[in-house]
Amino acid sequence: MKAVILAAGEGTRLRPLTVSRPKVMLRVGDKPIMQYAIDALREVGVRDIVVVVGYQKERIQTHFADGKDFGVNLEYVVQRKQLGTGHALLCAKDHLDGDFLAVPGDNILDGAMVAQLLDHRSDVTMLCTESAQPRKYGVVELDGNRVTSIIEKPPRRISNLISTGIYHFSHRFLDLLEREVGAGRFELTHALQAAMAEGYAIRGELTTGLWLDVVFPWDLLSLNARVLAGGPSRQAGTLESGVTVQGPVSIGEGSVLRSGTYIKGPVSIGRGCDIGPNVVIYPTTSIGHNVTLSPFTEVRNSVIMDNVAIGGHSYVSHSIIDEGTTIQSHFVTCAEPKLLLIENELIQIDKIGSIVGESCEIGHRVVVDAGRTIGAYCRIEAGNRIIKDIPDSARVV
Amino acid sequence: MCGIVGYTGNRQALGLLIEGLKRLEYRGYDSAGVAVLGDEGGGLRIQKAKGMIAELERRLEPASGTTGIAHTRWATHGRPSDENAHPFTDCGGKMALIHNGIIENFQELRERLLAGGHKFTSETDTETLVHLIESHYKGDLVVAVRKALREVRGSYAIAVVHTDHPGTVVGAVSENPLVVGVSPEGEVVMASDVTPLLPFTNDFTFLEDGDVVELRAGSFRMTNLSGRKVTRPSHHIDWSLEDAQKGGFEHFMLKEIHEQPHAILQSLMGRITDEGLVALAPKDVDKVKIVACGTSYHAGLIGKYIIESIAGVDTTVEMASEYRYSNLARESALVIAITQSGETIDTISAVREAKRRGTRTLAITNVVGSTITREANDVIYTRAGPEIGVAATKTFTTQVVALYLLAFALGLRRRTVGAEDLRRLREELRRLPAKVQTVLNSHEAIREAAHRLKDCQDVYFIGRNINYPVALEGALKLKEISYIHAEGYPAGELKHGPIALLDGRTPVVAVVVDDPVRPKMISNIGEVSARDAPVYAVGYEDDVELAKVVDALIPIPRTDALFSPVVAVVALQLLAYYTALLRGCHIDKPRNLAKSVTVE
Repeated sequence: MKAVILAAGEGTRLRPLTVSRPKVMLRVGDKPIMQYAIDALREVGVRDIVVVVGYQKERIQTHFADGKDFGVNLEYVVQRKQLGTGHALLCAKDHLDGDFLAVPGDNILDGAMVAQLLDHRSDVTMLCTESAQPRKYGVVELDGNRVTSIIEKPPRRISNLISTGIYHFSHRFLDLLEREVGAGRFELTHALQAAMAEGYAIRGELTTGLWLDVVFPWDLLSLNARVLAGGPSRQAGTLESGVTVQGPVSIGEGSVLRSGTYIKGPVSIGRGCDIGPNVVIYPTTSIGHNVTLSPFTEVRNSVIMDNVAIGGHSYVSHSIIDEGTTIQSHFVTCAEPKLLLIENELIQIDKIGSIVGESCEIGHRVVVDAGRTIGAYCRIEAGNRIIKDIPDSARVV
Repeated sequence: MCGIVGYTGNRQALGLLIEGLKRLEYRGYDSAGVAVLGDEGGGLRIQKAKGMIAELERRLEPASGTTGIAHTRWATHGRPSDENAHPFTDCGGKMALIHNGIIENFQELRERLLAGGHKFTSETDTETLVHLIESHYKGDLVVAVRKALREVRGSYAIAVVHTDHPGTVVGAVSENPLVVGVSPEGEVVMASDVTPLLPFTNDFTFLEDGDVVELRAGSFRMTNLSGRKVTRPSHHIDWSLEDAQKGGFEHFMLKEIHEQPHAILQSLMGRITDEGLVALAPKDVDKVKIVACGTSYHAGLIGKYIIESIAGVDTTVEMASEYRYSNLARESALVIAITQSGETIDTISAVREAKRRGTRTLAITNVVGSTITREANDVIYTRAGPEIGVAATKTFTTQVVALYLLAFALGLRRRTVGAEDLRRLREELRRLPAKVQTVLNSHEAIREAAHRLKDCQDVYFIGRNINYPVALEGALKLKEISYIHAEGYPAGELKHGPIALLDGRTPVVAVVVDDPVRPKMISNIGEVSARDAPVYAVGYEDDVELAKVVDALIPIPRTDALFSPVVAVVALQLLAYYTALLRGCHIDKPRNLAKSVTVE
């Protein structure tokens, strides 16, 4: 059986982390989000996968290529304009010849969930889960295992059950989908509602597996913590004498950890990094490839993406530093509890630091207040204190 | 250039041979052919066609047999045509032969064979070979091949089959690549390059000059021209078949451009620390001579600036094809040879000449086990992964990265660079993958700029100092794939001639970064604008002054001027790519060009 992974969207709510990559390529734990979907499909023996790409597709194609390094065969189709999930799925139509699976590329999921779906096939089978924030998803009502209604992002609370976006479809569903999309109803939920009206048997399966979604940039930290916990320890690279490593810590090839460095897992470090001497990394931290952390720097509960350099005597806590950013010495993120206003909703976060977008250049002695975001491609000169959000490409003198 | 595939095993050979040829397509060719040897005296079936492999496939008729040879030809003697395509047969029609390279004494051999009654059907040097082997054949094919080749002057890689020897393919090389592998099922495959062998195995044996190999199902045997047994080491190469597929990209070239951040990271891996650097640098170097061709030559030109400024070593750069014509009896410089494939015949000859002149040689190449790695004393691999697009991209940037590492290593040994400076430079080098990624992220802007070039007849590229070779490379990329006439010039040379050619329809692309020559570049741009020529600049994104004096700015991120060539060239690669795309050109297989130039 073939599967379709939907990976065309940008994830605008995740800016600035998505200015140059689609949401599916955000790194959680030690791999991009979409890789969780690919691993899950391969685990249950689904190897022929059609990936619907669009926004910044080159980033996906360079990483996954033909899929052989990941044990699958990938084909790509391009959704030129991101109109909706139904339209995206329809883009893969010519590559599908029988029943098929549809899987979101931007959620974390596991093989057991896909297996559960395969065990309960119907005209349409969807995997549902309980959510604390159902209003952001397609909300589902069930009668036993029969889906009685599905409503996209309802304004008021109907049920806590949402669609995970993981589906099994019979092939004939595609004709119905084509008709709906042709009539300008671009969301998959539109087609599902139409299918329901036409008497398709739509089955809902409740999963208790680990299904996670990143909605806002800050979610990345909690997701990273959940994924890294229980992760494996795999150590390549060079550890100089006097390095302490405790708990689950994985270190990639070609990385050098210099004397006096202290690491407490769960921590994941990519390939070709240069860390130390005397750097401290606390749980739960994920560090990408080719990252430099200079002496006397402390990093805790943070995500540091590829090609980042952080100068000495810095303190990075509960923060996300996007790829290619260079930070000079004595950089401080003031991590504190904070009430944040996100899309007109006040959200209390226990402890947050800051988000720094990609390819920023930050001078010596820069201090960022809790909960602040610095956009992509910014230049912050030495000695500044950042007390409000900084837009992309800004220069702070 | 020409490509050879040979197969013997338990499956039908025809389809496998055609598949193999397709994997060699990128080498460039103008005709293709195949010979299948029928099992149990089933005769020889030869089919060939001028044009693409697809053309051969269209005309292909079934041929039964589990042994065969196939060829793509890039014309040197005799124009591309059905008749001149390989394989060629002997007078008796029992033997078929394919050949890469050039036989220098073919005229005298041909006359002798004509006098001996042999009948020729073409004007090629290759046909001489098959008749020569026929004249020596007394029942043992390998012996006949050896005897014939002892009479030959020139370069060759050949593959031969004979109806009296079912299940056998004989190959031989001199100054041309040929590699052999055995699949777990015992199929034996031979080709000009590892890519056709990838579906069968990851362990390869490269033939060396004067080797003759006999393939039979299950194994192969190697001897030299005098019949003595030889053994060659087996190399394990970790490329997968799929590394050589397009993975959703429209062209290999675009895929390879986008792979550059990763490729650069791979070439830095483990080499940027003190310990890593020391391993790279040969001792006692006080003079360097770089030899290379084409794009690799441009990498060498950048290398001159890098090595001189970091390591303070006097460096010259020569075209590999011209190196041997100097009358130097002794060479005192370390000779650095740069070749992507490791098979570029001119570069290999230059290394041989350098060794003859008694000096050490160091090769910078992308292909493990290639000929140059056996010829040179030391090797630095660029680790870029397979490059299929004929226009070199990621192999160029990783060659330059290898030269930075080498210069750092030399500087460290010679103490020409302070610890603090070296630390800063290394950090900046580490940032290159991110900066290249930033250029890739702005590909839409570059595509816009390409619209301005697509209808031009001529384009000039200018740069100074370390970015002068970038102008050369930008021009080379544009002419290679878009067929627009393009020239690169040192900006200071414009006034000494080319400025006469400028007018409102001839744009100039300038590479301008923040270094001491920037004011001079700005005034050169002024001279160009005064002749109404549109000026497009590749420059730092925040260079407001530059943006004011040019018609369009292609922005690149700020970096130390020493590293700016790698960042700037990526913008020019994309510019060439999109221009060619807008003009509807065959980007991965430009006309008349070959990926690996194995003839002189």
